[in-house]
Amino acid sequence: MSRISPVTGHYVDVDVDGLLYKVFYLENGQGQPLVCQHTAGCHNHQWRGLLEDGEVTKDYRVIAYDLPRHGKSDPPENTQWWTQEYQLSADHYANFIVALVDALELENPIFMGSSFGGNVALQLAHRRPDRFAGVIPVEGADYSPGFYLDWWQHPHANAAQVCASGVWDLMAPQSPEADRWKTWFYYSQGSEAFKGDLYFYSVDHDLRDKLGEIDGDRCPVVMLTGDYDYLTTPEDSARTAGQIKGGEFIEMKGIGHFPMSENHSVFRTYLLQALALLQSKSRVVDAV
Amino acid sequence: MIATTSTATPTDWADAFARASNDDPEIQAHGKYFTCSYLLDMGERTFVVEVSRGKVVAVAVDPGPLEVSYQFALRASADTWRNFGVPVPAPMYHGIWSASFQRDLKLEGDVLVLMQNLRCFTRQFELLRTVGVPV
Repeated sequence: MSRISPVTGHYVDVDVDGLLYKVFYLENGQGQPLVCQHTAGCHNHQWRGLLEDGEVTKDYRVIAYDLPRHGKSDPPENTQWWTQEYQLSADHYANFIVALVDALELENPIFMGSSFGGNVALQLAHRRPDRFAGVIPVEGADYSPGFYLDWWQHPHANAAQVCASGVWDLMAPQSPEADRWKTWFYYSQGSEAFKGDLYFYSVDHDLRDKLGEIDGDRCPVVMLTGDYDYLTTPEDSARTAGQIKGGEFIEMKGIGHFPMSENHSVFRTYLLQALALLQSKSRVVDAV
Repeated sequence: MIATTSTATPTDWADAFARASNDDPEIQAHGKYFTCSYLLDMGERTFVVEVSRGKVVAVAVDPGPLEVSYQFALRASADTWRNFGVPVPAPMYHGIWSASFQRDLKLEGDVLVLMQNLRCFTRQFELLRTVGVPV
């Protein structure tokens, strides 16, 4: 008897900032949408554990998309993108996510992203608290310099291996070896987008003087960061959450920068806490 | 695999490290073009490791000035190296990137050579978790 996963894949057209994208997403579950962004230079298989986690999908419609230029989402359909250097801006990234949830006609979505997805979660809470029921920035911070490096695309080195092995020790040694190697494998596929993604992560994303403008009562913010993350440390995320009105931070033990992909069974225990916390804060908001 | 301790002689450690690398399935599966030489500066000891086509062919122990050339170097305090050389390193001691971003590890010399060999080097560095360190 074959086992066929309940996870399904679809494409949706997204028109944003004059660019046309055909966006691939995986989904499973029913209920409030939980929209999931993968990390820089990667794709939606990082959420493979969550997509089949029945305790989450019984209450949430988990949607994990591939950002354009990643996985099965191609670069823009209507430009000669190969004639330009790819540098993801905070404006375009945030606009794209809003256009995506609009295209899917999602009501009260929760947005969750890791690394550069965690940083854009903060951007969304800052820019569009009206459009999201809350955000869960994973491995995110107000500012994360230092990773916009030429090594990711250096023509004298094997970019696939540099990207994949270059992020290897962003993962915790305790995480299952097979899951770490899957994450390595995904990273070997994304070198062309990785550096441009990191332009957002390390250069264009800077909320250091704007955290006080985020209204965490209107759009609850619950941050999760692993103690093996050297790039965005628990201290960075705690500092960030501490400056957001109503912001919450939960430190994850024994896990690194790709928690959903390197060790879903550990990540899920913290995610369930974060979702419960976010829902309790949403109820308070609703009651006011 | 032999787990050495700080009481092992540096030469014993060099032999154990070379053997662990040359017996490692991952390095041997992917090391056809893994060729480079590098310095490990452990504060109290220094080593120059020479790798040719996936095999450690020489490890110089405490080489004198000008004795042995190398392409890149990893320099850190003995304490940092001791933290690398345990089965499950504490946060920030679990790799060369984490320790260079958050601790006192310095990556020097021709870093391009390190990047060209990063896949196998990353595995080779993790052998310290089973071999230990001689400081």
